[in-house]
Amino acid sequence: VSEFADDPDMVELVELFVAGIPAQIAKLDAARAAGDPDGVRRLAHQIKGAAGGYGFPTITDAAGRLEATTAGGAPFEEAFAALVQLCRSVRAGAPASARAA
Amino acid sequence: MRANSLKPDSAAPACVLAIDDSPEVLALLSVRLKPEGLKLVTAESYDEGLAMAMELLPDLILLDVDMPEHSGLDLCRRLKEEGATANIPVIFLTGSSDVSTKVHGFDLGAVDYVTKPFHPAELRARVRAALRMKRAQDLLTQRAQIDALTGLRNRAYLDERLAQEMSMAMALGRPLSLIMMDIDHFKNLNDSYGHPFGDLVLQRVGDFLARSVRPCDAVCRYGGEEITLLLTDTPIEGALAVAERVRIQTRELELSPRGQPVMVTASFGVAEALAVLGRTGDKRPSALIVAADEALYTAKREGRDRVQRAQTITPKRDSILRLCPPLTGPPPARRAS
Repeated sequence: VSEFADDPDMVELVELFVAGIPAQIAKLDAARAAGDPDGVRRLAHQIKGAAGGYGFPTITDAAGRLEATTAGGAPFEEAFAALVQLCRSVRAGAPASARAA
Repeated sequence: MRANSLKPDSAAPACVLAIDDSPEVLALLSVRLKPEGLKLVTAESYDEGLAMAMELLPDLILLDVDMPEHSGLDLCRRLKEEGATANIPVIFLTGSSDVSTKVHGFDLGAVDYVTKPFHPAELRARVRAALRMKRAQDLLTQRAQIDALTGLRNRAYLDERLAQEMSMAMALGRPLSLIMMDIDHFKNLNDSYGHPFGDLVLQRVGDFLARSVRPCDAVCRYGGEEITLLLTDTPIEGALAVAERVRIQTRELELSPRGQPVMVTASFGVAEALAVLGRTGDKRPSALIVAADEALYTAKREGRDRVQRAQTITPKRDSILRLCPPLTGPPPARRAS
């Protein structure tokens, strides 16, 4: 749940961000399937930069770990799975629109 | 900045350019900065950001330093190298709290940084502080381009503005005219009635000139008793009419040093940029000033208190020789005052 769930300025924006997450996961999957660690790293980088600002610091941390792992050229399956799992568990958390993702 | 009344433009909202490769971060910035009443524009890449900075000349740039391809630090360096953007403050946005990144950013000319995820109140406070500094800096620049005696713009401003207007006029084929005005027998006025009277004449002339041109025109004290009027989008006929009006207004100034009324007159040289280019092939701003100055000299020689249009064709060599007095005695002064 977003840390900004109670912030009226942010409700709409957080919902938009959460609504966009499945598309991000799809892009990550596509990059991994294509054997493109650079693509995975770039996507992880973007998610890292954005998620914290929307009140999801744990996603930022997980994306940061994935970015660092891919940048080092190491196998990144574990970090990848951790990020995707976290993303799937996300919901906006606004009372009016509470929904499980 | 351009109006002839020299008050800072407080009505227009500050323009802030945010550059970040993540659309989500840009959306977040726009919501977080909304209470500030800014005009926020965004770019998602190095190239787009550089192009927008050059075109819009924003008051502040928020720059993500962790961008892929070229890093934001490279972009910061580029912005500081370009004359047009060098003075725009840059706040960088960084996900890392790494000291060396911060130090590097400051060394490249950034004024501040905000770490992501940013706290909304802190972000707004840092943006406000940077904009305050930018306003003070703009005011100083403006002050440095104002003539202390008359309140008109000075020659430094004319040089800068003329270069801009010339390139615009050439690119768009629009007429641009320059009037060079010189108060007649100014030295005699000073000698007869004292320098404070000379200063008063300049001030009175400056006052009505600033009021009688459009905001897009520039009135500058060029030096001594010389004043230039730069008229945008104005063909030579329009400029001649303005000069004639100013000539009459100058004669009509009511001045009474030591209780006795004195009439002050002025002479005018008028030139148009495209005509000067056609005649001389010289695109430089100085060519327009030289052409107006030559016409002013002719107006002085032919009796003063008159308006002279710059010549449009190059005079033949023998006609120049005829105009020149034979070389006996010391060379004549460049211009009668």
